[in-house]
Amino acid sequence: MNRAFLAELRRISGDANVLDDALELLTYECDALPHLRQTPAAVVLPACTAEVQAIVQLCATEAIPFVARGHGTGLSGGALPVAGGLVIALSRMNRVLAVDIPNQRMTVQPGVTNLEMTRQVAPFGYYYAPDPSSQQVCSIGGNVAENSGGAHCLKYGFTVHHVLAVEAVMPDGAIVHLGGTLADTPGPDLLGLIVGSEGTLAVVTSITVRLLRRPEAVQTLLAAFDTIDAGGAVVSDIIAAGIIPAAVEMMDSLAIRAAEAAVHPNFPDADTVLIVELDGPATEVSALFDIVVATCQRRGATAIDVAKTDEHRARIWRGRKAAFAAMGRVSPNYYVQDGVVPRTRLPEVLNRIRQLEARSGLRIGNVFHAGDGNLHPLICYDESVPGQSDRAVEVAAEILSYCIEAGGSLTGEHGIGADKSQYMPKMFSPADLGVMLRVRAAFDPQSLCNPGKVFPTPRLCGEVPGPYRRHPAELAGVAERM
Amino acid sequence: MTAGSSIPISPEIVSPSTPDEVAAALRAASDARRSVQIRGGGSKLDWARNSQPPEIVLNMRSLNRVLTHAHGDLTATVEAGVRLSDLNAALGAHGQCLPLDPPFADRATIGGLLATNDSGPLRHRYGTPRDLVIGVQIATTDGTLARAGGQVVKNVAGYDLSKLITGSFGSLAAIVSATFKLTPVPVASRTLVLNFRDSASQSRAAASVAASQLEPVAFEIQAQTPGGAGFMAMLRFASLPVVVDAQLDRARVLLATEATSTTVLEAAAEVEAWDRHSEHIWTAAGAIVRASWLPANLAVAIEELERISGAASVKFEIIGRAAVGAGLIRIDADVATQSQFIERLRASSAFGNVVIRRGSDELKSRIDVWGPHGDRLPLLAALKQAFDPHGILSQGRGPL
Repeated sequence: MNRAFLAELRRISGDANVLDDALELLTYECDALPHLRQTPAAVVLPACTAEVQAIVQLCATEAIPFVARGHGTGLSGGALPVAGGLVIALSRMNRVLAVDIPNQRMTVQPGVTNLEMTRQVAPFGYYYAPDPSSQQVCSIGGNVAENSGGAHCLKYGFTVHHVLAVEAVMPDGAIVHLGGTLADTPGPDLLGLIVGSEGTLAVVTSITVRLLRRPEAVQTLLAAFDTIDAGGAVVSDIIAAGIIPAAVEMMDSLAIRAAEAAVHPNFPDADTVLIVELDGPATEVSALFDIVVATCQRRGATAIDVAKTDEHRARIWRGRKAAFAAMGRVSPNYYVQDGVVPRTRLPEVLNRIRQLEARSGLRIGNVFHAGDGNLHPLICYDESVPGQSDRAVEVAAEILSYCIEAGGSLTGEHGIGADKSQYMPKMFSPADLGVMLRVRAAFDPQSLCNPGKVFPTPRLCGEVPGPYRRHPAELAGVAERM
Repeated sequence: MTAGSSIPISPEIVSPSTPDEVAAALRAASDARRSVQIRGGGSKLDWARNSQPPEIVLNMRSLNRVLTHAHGDLTATVEAGVRLSDLNAALGAHGQCLPLDPPFADRATIGGLLATNDSGPLRHRYGTPRDLVIGVQIATTDGTLARAGGQVVKNVAGYDLSKLITGSFGSLAAIVSATFKLTPVPVASRTLVLNFRDSASQSRAAASVAASQLEPVAFEIQAQTPGGAGFMAMLRFASLPVVVDAQLDRARVLLATEATSTTVLEAAAEVEAWDRHSEHIWTAAGAIVRASWLPANLAVAIEELERISGAASVKFEIIGRAAVGAGLIRIDADVATQSQFIERLRASSAFGNVVIRRGSDELKSRIDVWGPHGDRLPLLAALKQAFDPHGILSQGRGPL
C-alpha cells in the first residue's frame, strides 16, 4: 500500500478516519477469535455508502484486498485482516435510517447494534427477532455477514429470514440493491445468498429488516436433571408433541458452575439444566406450558423453576447468555466451539464428547441450543502447561468430526471464517466447493473481498493456529471479555 | 447441432432417474449446445417469456423419492420430482408437513416450487420455499453434482446455494434434491371469512390485525370489482382447539365494526373455501400478474387499481397475503388493454415487482414478462455465465 493510496483514502474519509499507525492498528488485528491475528496495512472508517463505494473502487483499481468489519465480535475470524490489505471498519455507519411501524420494518446502517434495533421499536410493541448472545455489542452488518442466529431461532429463524433488503457495494465498486421494500424481487434470491456469505461477496451498507410484534405471552422455565440424557428426552418429547418452543437450551454441570460463579443466576447444582421458553397467544402458551412442565416431571426433573416475573426470566437468560465468558471463572483458558448435529443424535454425540474429555484430560463444558442440535463445547485448558493449547485444538477438531459423522455441520452460527476453512473439505466435496467458488468469482473476479475466508487455503504467514488468547486490547487493559 | 440451426418440431424428452443421469444429460446438452428446459409437474410452464421450443425437455418426474423423513428432527430430504401433495401425504404419517400451499399442489413438484419460489396463503406464517429449504443438491451444465447447506436446520457453513436456486426458474442449474425443515400439523384449524363494504374498511381491518397480537397462520385479502364479489378477508387460525376459539373470538370483536358480515368455517367447508380461494383466480378469464405492495398501503394500492381499471374500464381481481403485501392481480380485458394495465401498474409507485404469470403470446410480445432487473443485471449476467456459459438453460424464457 503506497502513500498515494493512503492519501486518496484520507481524501475520501478524512484524515481522522484513516489509521496506519502501528498502535492504532492493534485494535483491528483480530476479532473475538484472537488467536488468529494479522496487522492490516491500514484501516478506514467511512461515514456513508458513497465513501464505501469510493474506497472499494480504489481497492479494485489498485488490487488491494479489503475486509469489512463491524464491531469485531465474530468468533470465527471472519474479520481477520489480510496482510498488506485494508480494513473497512463500518462502526461509524451506525445510524437508524428509517423506522416504519405500520409496515413492520426498519432500515439501518451496518454499524447499528443488534439490540439497538429492538430498543428503537420496543416502545411500539415490536422487536427484531434474531438474538445472538452478543446482541448488546454485535453489529447488524456482522449479523448479515454471518447469518447470525441466537437462542430464539428455533421458532423464529435466522438473520436470513428477517432481512428484507440490503444495499451493497460490489467488489468492483458498483452499488446493488438486493431484495427490496416490496416483496418478491424477480429472479434468483441474491439477498438470501449474500446473507451468510461472511463478507466475501460484497460490503453491505444498508439493511432493511422485518420487525415482529411482541407476542402476547411468554413463559420460561428452568428444569434440573441428573443426566443429560433425561434432559434430551424431554426435548424429544416436546418436539414429538408438536410443540415448537421459542427456545430450548441446555447446559451441563461445568457450564452451570461457571455461570453461577460469574453472574449468579441461582441455577441449581445439577448435572444438566434445561431452559424452555414458549411464546405466542396467552391461551396457547398456557396450555402448552402445562405439557412442558408435566414432561419435565415425568422425565425425573429434580427441580423446576418457573419464571414468575420478567426480572426472573432475565436472570435465567443471564445465566445462559453469560456461559461462554463465564468459563474464564473456572479455567485459565478456554476455546469455544460451534458445531451442529441432528437433534436426535445429541445424546450419542454428547457421550462421545464425554469420552473424549476423559481421554484428553481437558475439561469440556457443554452449552447448547438443544432444540436445533447446535453444540457449543467449551474446551478448558491452561496455556502455561506445555502441550495443552495444542491438545485443545485437536479436541476441537475431533468434536467437529463427530458433528460431520452424525450428519451435521461445522458451524451453526459462528461461521467458517478463517478458523474453520481448513475443515470445509470434511463437509463438502471438491465439486461442492468448486461451485461455491464459481459464485465467488462471479461476484469478485479479483478475489479482493475478504479473501482467505470460508474456503480452504494454505495458512497465511502470520496466522498462528491455536485456541483462545487474550485480545491485544485486553492485554492493554482497555477491554474485557463479556 | 447448434441452437437455431434446425429446431426440432417436438423436443427430445430425457427422463433421468438418478442424480448422475441428470448431470450427464446436462453436460451432453451443453457440449452439443442444445437448449434444455427442465420440467417438473408442468404446472407453471407458461410462467415465462415466449420462446422457441427447447431441443430437450429434461423431465424430472422419475426422481420422485422421499429420501429421508427425520421426524424427530423435523426435516425431510426429497428428490426434485416429488409432488408436493405426495410429499405431504407421506409426512402426515408422523403428523408433520412441509407448510406450503401453492396453487396446483397436486401437480406441482418440489423442484418446480423451489425454482419458482411459489407459495400460497400459509406464507403468512411459514414463508416461501426459500425460507424452508435447508439444503440442496444441484446439477450444473458441466455435469457437476454439487451440494450446499445440509441436513440440519441450523447451519451456516459455505454459501447457501439453495437460495441462489430459488426463483431461478431453471436458468442456472437443475435441482436434483432438497432438504426442508418441517412443521407439526396443527391439531385444529378454523377460518374467519369477513366481507367489507369498501376497500377503506378492508384496509383498516388489515391494519388492525397487523397491529394486534393475533397470530393467524394465513391472512388473505381479496377484492373483485366492479360488479364482482366485493371486498373480503380470510383469517385462518390453527393450533389447539381452545386457542383457535379464543383467537377467533378476539378477531371477531376486533373487526366487528369494519366487517359487514363474518362467517366461521371449519372442517370440509374450510378446506373447500381455501381451495376455492387459491384456484378461483386461475380458472377465471384474463391475464394474471404477480405484484407487491406495502402492506400498510393496501387501500392506496386498491384505489390505484380502481383508477387504472376505471381509465381502461376493465374488471380486475386481486388476491394476496395482506401482511406480506404480495399477491396476484387478474385483468379481464382484451390484450391491448391488459398490456396498458400492466404498464400502468409498473409505472405506479403503489406497486412493484409486477411479473406476468399468465398471458397470451400476444400479450407477452407486447410487454416483457419479468420487468427490469435494475442494478442487479450485471450480477445476474455474471452468475448466468458462471453456471451456464453456453446459455442452454431456459433459453429465451427468463428471468436470466
